[in-house]
Amino acid sequence: MEAAQLSRSAMIAIVFLRIVIGWHFLYEGIAKLTSPSWSAVGYMRASRGPFSALFKSIANNPQMLDNANLITMYGLTIVGVLLMLGLFTRLAALGGIAFILLFYLCNPPFVGYFYSIPTEGAYLIVNKNLVELSALAVILLTRSGLAAGLDRIVHALLSGRARLATPVRV
Amino acid sequence: MAANHDDKGNANGQAAPREPRKLDRRDVLKGLSTVPALGLFGYAWKTQSDYQQARAEEVAASPQGPADLQVINVALLGAGAQGQVLTDSMLRLTGLRFRAVCDIWTEYNQKRVVNSLKRFKHEPNGYEDYREMLDKEKELDAVIIATPDFWHAQHTIDCLKAGKHVYCEKEMSSTLEGARSMVAAQRETGKLLQIGHQRRSNPRYLHCYTKILQEAKMLGRIITVYGQWNRGVTPDLGAPERYVIPDARLKQYGFKDMHQFRNWRWYKGKGGGPIVDLGSHQIDIYGWFLGANPSGVMASGGNLYYDRNTHEWYDTVLAVFDYDTPLGPAKGYYSTQTTNGSQGYFENFMGDQGTLLISESEVNYAGQLYRDPNAPAWDEWVQKGYVSAPKEQETKPKSESGAIADVRESVAPDQHTVPVTLRDPYHQPHLQNFFDAVRGKATLNCPAEEAYQTAVAVLKVNEAIEAKTRLAFNPEDFKA
Repeated sequence: MEAAQLSRSAMIAIVFLRIVIGWHFLYEGIAKLTSPSWSAVGYMRASRGPFSALFKSIANNPQMLDNANLITMYGLTIVGVLLMLGLFTRLAALGGIAFILLFYLCNPPFVGYFYSIPTEGAYLIVNKNLVELSALAVILLTRSGLAAGLDRIVHALLSGRARLATPVRV
Repeated sequence: MAANHDDKGNANGQAAPREPRKLDRRDVLKGLSTVPALGLFGYAWKTQSDYQQARAEEVAASPQGPADLQVINVALLGAGAQGQVLTDSMLRLTGLRFRAVCDIWTEYNQKRVVNSLKRFKHEPNGYEDYREMLDKEKELDAVIIATPDFWHAQHTIDCLKAGKHVYCEKEMSSTLEGARSMVAAQRETGKLLQIGHQRRSNPRYLHCYTKILQEAKMLGRIITVYGQWNRGVTPDLGAPERYVIPDARLKQYGFKDMHQFRNWRWYKGKGGGPIVDLGSHQIDIYGWFLGANPSGVMASGGNLYYDRNTHEWYDTVLAVFDYDTPLGPAKGYYSTQTTNGSQGYFENFMGDQGTLLISESEVNYAGQLYRDPNAPAWDEWVQKGYVSAPKEQETKPKSESGAIADVRESVAPDQHTVPVTLRDPYHQPHLQNFFDAVRGKATLNCPAEEAYQTAVAVLKVNEAIEAKTRLAFNPEDFKA
């Protein structure tokens, strides 16, 4: 999928999608940063599925847990800002996908898993994490930052400089 | 935002060689077009923060409080998990001003609590050494102590002697000598000393004691009490490397290493293990509701699960207390285990006329009362609002599994509930009682002499496990 092949309205929709996902990431990050006692420990201790041993070992290792908490808090915030600004959009989308994939794999709604943690909906394999992850994949591939976002400025500046540096063709 | 922007060098990088172009106005406008969204976010976040702050200030201590309310200057000594719990409760009380927070874990606990207090407009000073705090904070009225048990006696005595009222977490001390010296210091100074058996101020427990047991005597004569606290396996507490306390400081304050500092409750000489941490709260209620101290105790326990090198106290304990109550002999059974949390914690008082099943955890145990079918009717107490009306029984009793009760089984007793609910954090009423007493408007619900009696009963359990025999109490043992 190329940005050039999209209609104007389609690109507007994708930019809007990028902004609302960025908003969500940013607030998730800031809410955790400003909470004196937030930790991923509860979420990781409740882990199910093929990677539960990994998540539980992180939860039980104070050093790794501290790192995981810091990476999550700052990572979500940074990804959120970048997505909203359309700056390094593909990198931000990739980072966002990585975060959500971890959240998804930590507590996946697979067949046969019964969680006692209340959720706001009913899910089977696909949950809202997976939906947001898929939306980020669209953002990753469409490069909406070039259409509306700081990527456009960065790209213009860098491409201009690159051309200036292009050796003379013979 | 144009769909076709090849002129800017599109995403493919497949454009044919073109002339370099400078950044034009169109690029800048489109490049900055989503920045306002970030501004909108900032505005929404600010609005949300302001709202939360306003809500917090509504419930938080107003430094002035009502015009006629004496403002109490408070320090927190020990800012760990329990210190945080107490702080959260105190932030909901009016007329308190936090002046100081003291904790040897300056890198983490102290910083966290100081920061959280600042969010509520308090300006506490942070201290590592409580003596320095007592020297510098001359305006302090009261100190809230939530340090490890083996520090309680010294911290309490020094604070009392410095002229401060003290609220000290249970267990009073890890030794009876320590607990006795706390009572002596309280008497000598005349200052208030409340011990943190917070159920003593819980309106549900107070209702059960004053109305159901003392006035209505709905249980008749209590013959047995059973209580438990089951807690699931929990990994040892640790600390990220960047927050580890230097060895020299740990040793200065009596800890051999960071593991011992974080898990002191499991170490002999520092805490008393689960029977003291958990059982103390409930065995305190046994004595209070029965109106008697135990005359003897048998106990069995062991470290069945955890590594004995890092968990010196027993993870599993069963104790049997003998009581000579004003109405006759009674047995108090108490069990705690830290390897399975099923059914949680509660106390069950069984008399010849009724049963009271109560827990601090109202969500798990709503406070049930069962009237024995042969006991006098409780209509009067229902009318007075002491208990709820009995739950209607189904005409065809049937269990969820479909099993049918045999006709020879006892008639099911009427089931009532305790009609009092605590909607505040568990520790709030007990702290409120303490501060009311500081203002001269109440008497303490758990003064030092009272808590000392519980300490005598509880600390004896660990002795009984080691002795492997019944240990008797002398009534003089309970006098500090």
